[in-house]
Amino acid sequence: MSNNNLSVISLVSIGEHPTSRRPRRAEQDARAIELGIKLVGDNLQTLHAGELSDDDSQQTALRSYLGMGLAEINLLEMPENSDAVLVIAEHLKQKKPDIILTGVRAENGESSGMLPYLLAEQLGMAMVTSIAEILSVDEVNKQAEVLQALPRGQRRKLKVDLPFIASVDMAAALPRQSAFGPARRGQFEEILGTSFTDQESSEWQTADAKKRPKRLKIIKAKTAADRFKAATAKASGGGGKVVHGVEESAQAILDLLVEEGLV
Amino acid sequence: MSSSEFLSQFLFTLISFALLLMLVGAVKRMLLWSQGQSSTIHWLGLLQIPRRYLVDLHHVVARDKYMSNTHVATAGGFVLSSILIVLLYVFQLKLQILTWALLGSSLLMFVGSIFVMIRRRNPPPNLSLGQWQRLPKSLMVFSLSFFILTLPATGILPSDTGGWLLALLLVAGIIWGIGEMFCGMTWGGPMKHAFAGALHLGLHRRQERFGGGQSTGLKAIDLSSKKLGVEKPIDFKWNQLLSFDACVECGRCENNCPAFAAGQPLNPKKLIQDMVIGMAGGDDAKFAGSPYPGIKVGTHKGGAIIPIVNVLVESDTLWSCTTCRACVDACPMMIEHVDAIVDMRRFETMEKGQTPGKGSEILENLSATDNPNGFAPSTRMNWAADQNLTVFGHNEKKQEVTQADVLLWVGDAAFDMRNQRTLRAMIKLLRAAKVNFAVLGDAECDSGDLARRLGDEATFQRLANSNISTMNKYKFNTIVTADPHAFHCIKNEYGEFGGNYNVMHHTGFFAELVSQQKIKLDNSKELALTYHDPCYLGRYNGEYDAPRFLLESMGVKIKEMDRSKSTARCCGGGGGAPVTDIPGKQRIPDMRMADVIETKAEIVAVACPGCSAMLEGVVEPRPEVKDIAELMLDALIEGVVEDTAEVVVEDMVGGAV
Amino acid sequence: MSELFRRDPRAQWIARNRLHPMHQALVIGPVFGPSGLLRKNLHIIGFIGPNGLKRIDRSGASNDSEQGSRRSATASEVILPLHQVVEPAFYIVVVLDLVSGRLNGHDKDTLGLAQQLANRNNGGGAVVAIAFGELKDDSLNKAGVDRLIHINDEQYAHYNPEQRCNDLQGIIGELEPQHILLPDSINGGGDLGRRLAAALQQRPACGVWKLNDDTVICRGSAGKRDITRPLSKLLLVMEECSEPISETRHENILMSQASSPLANGKLFDQGNISVDPNAIPLAEAGFILSGGNGINDWEQFHHTASVLGATEGASRVAVDDGNMPRERQVGATGTWVTAQVYIAVGISGAIQHMQGIGQCDKVVAINTDEGCDMVKRADISAIGDSTEILARLVELVEQRKQAKQTNNEGDDK
Repeated sequence: MSNNNLSVISLVSIGEHPTSRRPRRAEQDARAIELGIKLVGDNLQTLHAGELSDDDSQQTALRSYLGMGLAEINLLEMPENSDAVLVIAEHLKQKKPDIILTGVRAENGESSGMLPYLLAEQLGMAMVTSIAEILSVDEVNKQAEVLQALPRGQRRKLKVDLPFIASVDMAAALPRQSAFGPARRGQFEEILGTSFTDQESSEWQTADAKKRPKRLKIIKAKTAADRFKAATAKASGGGGKVVHGVEESAQAILDLLVEEGLV
Repeated sequence: MSSSEFLSQFLFTLISFALLLMLVGAVKRMLLWSQGQSSTIHWLGLLQIPRRYLVDLHHVVARDKYMSNTHVATAGGFVLSSILIVLLYVFQLKLQILTWALLGSSLLMFVGSIFVMIRRRNPPPNLSLGQWQRLPKSLMVFSLSFFILTLPATGILPSDTGGWLLALLLVAGIIWGIGEMFCGMTWGGPMKHAFAGALHLGLHRRQERFGGGQSTGLKAIDLSSKKLGVEKPIDFKWNQLLSFDACVECGRCENNCPAFAAGQPLNPKKLIQDMVIGMAGGDDAKFAGSPYPGIKVGTHKGGAIIPIVNVLVESDTLWSCTTCRACVDACPMMIEHVDAIVDMRRFETMEKGQTPGKGSEILENLSATDNPNGFAPSTRMNWAADQNLTVFGHNEKKQEVTQADVLLWVGDAAFDMRNQRTLRAMIKLLRAAKVNFAVLGDAECDSGDLARRLGDEATFQRLANSNISTMNKYKFNTIVTADPHAFHCIKNEYGEFGGNYNVMHHTGFFAELVSQQKIKLDNSKELALTYHDPCYLGRYNGEYDAPRFLLESMGVKIKEMDRSKSTARCCGGGGGAPVTDIPGKQRIPDMRMADVIETKAEIVAVACPGCSAMLEGVVEPRPEVKDIAELMLDALIEGVVEDTAEVVVEDMVGGAV
Repeated sequence: MSELFRRDPRAQWIARNRLHPMHQALVIGPVFGPSGLLRKNLHIIGFIGPNGLKRIDRSGASNDSEQGSRRSATASEVILPLHQVVEPAFYIVVVLDLVSGRLNGHDKDTLGLAQQLANRNNGGGAVVAIAFGELKDDSLNKAGVDRLIHINDEQYAHYNPEQRCNDLQGIIGELEPQHILLPDSINGGGDLGRRLAAALQQRPACGVWKLNDDTVICRGSAGKRDITRPLSKLLLVMEECSEPISETRHENILMSQASSPLANGKLFDQGNISVDPNAIPLAEAGFILSGGNGINDWEQFHHTASVLGATEGASRVAVDDGNMPRERQVGATGTWVTAQVYIAVGISGAIQHMQGIGQCDKVVAINTDEGCDMVKRADISAIGDSTEILARLVELVEQRKQAKQTNNEGDDK
């Protein structure tokens, strides 16, 4: 690999499964590691802000990053409920990495997605969001080419000055499987972090997400007749339209495609 | 010195030397096996070798009558001849009766070798050629040489018949014969199977398999060991290495392997031969049997300390296996192919993280949600919202119980709309028979079958331990499940983790109820029906009769497929094969459905959620796929057990366990 | 609404009352006398002929009056009341996404929430929309924009979040808005909002989906939790966080604002790269043409997909039969797709497949069997031979493309 001198740090968090709510490796963080390993191989450093929990499932989740083939994860010890950004920024200021990789947003907590932006601001680095791939890193000109993921599979090519922080999108390459053996044998390197308490968020109330009501189709009827019609008319879109005949079929499909702006 | 005196003197030297050479070879071979990992040595098993050879092994060989008779003649003749030769020529016991006996045994062996020759003239594709084509000739030369040699000694022919010319010919023949039959036994060659096979029968890793017993559960490994699974040949247990040497390359495994038939790159015979190559070092160029479909012979090599996967054996080969155990069942040498494959898969998954296909996703789901498809664990009981099931638990407000006669193991069919139909049918049947049953509800996890067969022993052990600790909280007599995979896991594999239960497959349980008249079935229906044996019910647990009994109780005359009972072909759904999805020329379920169609059956009865999913995946038009529970529900005569209801419950309480 | 028949009781009363001073003006057309005879008021019909004499055309050909008691509803649009903020007490800033220069639903919802904020507690606030780059939409006044800051020059055609963030900082410094709202979207708003938050050192409320007095409810834990927190200055809002404006018009007054050039940008847009539809992962694809067991001509299928620019999908059977690679399999056992339009050709719809397309917006089925499950699910079902229908569809699409091309060429001339 030609990027041997590059210092790449990926930040990992403990994710949470959407249905079982169990700790797991966060999907985007795992993709960030995959991207990092492809970029610099064994030179990838991994940082997690938080202590090694006594809770088995938490530890297993963190270990599943090790199972991707990392030799160790640096643990930046910090008390629960403290502001990870400040702790990490403090630590990274000394490390001066060329590239920091993170997920777009955490799978639990506030999951505001602010962390990479705040780090970029604090460390004075460039910030690229939602990348799918790092195409090349030019260490001489201190520039990298990355692909940014856009909706519906589209990609935008960006040039970005080193050092930079990139948040890795779900569109990036799937993370490699986490193997049990390496996960069990990997090491945690503990570093004492500074503590910054996050007062603000402790006052918030959280609850399980409620299903958002589906927006009703509001009919802005100006007349009684309109309102009457809206209230009594058969709801459209219940059954589909059935078309027979080649010509009619093709035309109907084309009309739909035109309507949806696809042709 | 006459030619006969010379012969007698020479034979003493020759045979003694050959025996010495054989001994050296044996030590060398044993050193090869001893490279493997330590494993319990069953010394007592050595005493049982003759019995195991004559009963257990012969039982398998006898499935092919021609070959079994041939083998009796040849092997019997050979063993007898060898003993007599040693007595006559090494210990010089010149008893007339021994000479006559040798004459008879060598003649027997000669007759046998003729049949071997005939079979080898136009060999079926499952037989290996190469050195195996030489074997009948060697057998003939050996038996004929000793036959002729013995003739003068018995007095049938005058001594010194044939003079020096015949003596020379005999010397040549005996050198060839003894070289092949004695030295070849330990130095490699077709006769290696006799030496390694005999020891293998004695020192088999699954002693329980002999004497009519069964041992089909995978063996647990210590998750804290330095290396998980098998990377190199030396990572196998020594007795596994020994077992590979026992292979006779008869190709019965190949004939029965569904993956091989489907054109997936797996041939169990080649796999075992590759393991031998790995153990002894070398390449596979000399392999003279059918290759792995799609992979050329001669392109791979290995050694005892060289990683196996993708050097000696392609990973696709390992992942093609459906763990249906057809090869193991067909193997006359009782070699455990599935154990070896799973051992290698364990390394691939737990050390390299290279489970192919959707494997990694499935395993991740299993660890995050306890079911392979990642459904929310809290929705496990959603299918039964209208069933009003009794759930095990301590919450009395929800009318949970801590005790029931039967624990109904739901399995992952709970998340599958097709197999929920089977579950509903089962519940109706259980209620019709007034069985007192309860389910574990959301506390149930996947049995771990899939994870274990995908090589993820860690996830399996977690799931097993979790299920065991859940079940140990409650009291019940029997576990009943419609899933043969869960049935097998709980019955045969949870024991190592402290979970010992009385487990029944629903067919077995219902068969009991029917024979006790607790379920009455209408036997007037005439159905054109065939039954597909699930691997994990049939070959893994020997249950062939209960499902057939149930079908017959419904008045069905089963149109049996050619491949049924112990030779039933897998549906392709086992061992994570649908997950890893290794491409072949055709799909295993399509082949199985072709078997069904051949019987002209309109319905194929199944007894496994995996089988129903795989067989229903075959493109229509095709025979209908129905679980036995569903068929039973159709034929159920309700209300007849009203009066005996109380008795049923009491019976159940006192009955099982 | 313009076609409505409206009864005007007063006019009808006047028409009945011949003594009413306005009677003459109103009653035009046939009047029936008490005996049921048709009465004509000759004074008000007819015209003056060329020789100065009054003429009545009894043929009815030149009957000019066609009114009756039917008040002609004007075809003109309903004029919504104008919401004016003359002297804004404070500002609410909304930064619009403007995908291809137009307001999208998310923008409108954001503006709706901004208006809620501007009008709460006695109101008086003005919503300032900030538009970067080209602005093609002329309905800003109807979407709730009181003031508009439009920053446009060549560089805004590209992705330049650093420059935009810089501009916003300037604007916010000047206007000192009470709240700043951005759509929390992948179309730029989410990125820009977070950049701004970092630059302003403001903790934003992200994923806001509801405003309750002085608190907002945000989606946290990647959509699994609801966080109720005090209203913050910077809000990144989700779609449907509020109803869009529909009852009022707004002034949409342009405020001038120069962009302040940024010295040290670190990001350089190299433009979108063209993505082969088939290189798009199925789960992300917006338009999928999926083939199943009913397809005989796979060449044609691939051709159709390339003409339509659709990503190819397949049913399990098509994959098993080796017609399509495994990663193209749609369904519960393959990939769960979220396409805007999903065309299923020759797929009857096994339950696993239907599960996999559950989140698709519009489903089109082309199938020979009208009773199959896919037809039941589809928005449009074409019953017939798939080969012929696809062939005709390709023809139509190609004709359309050609027509467009010639049109464009015509425009160029």
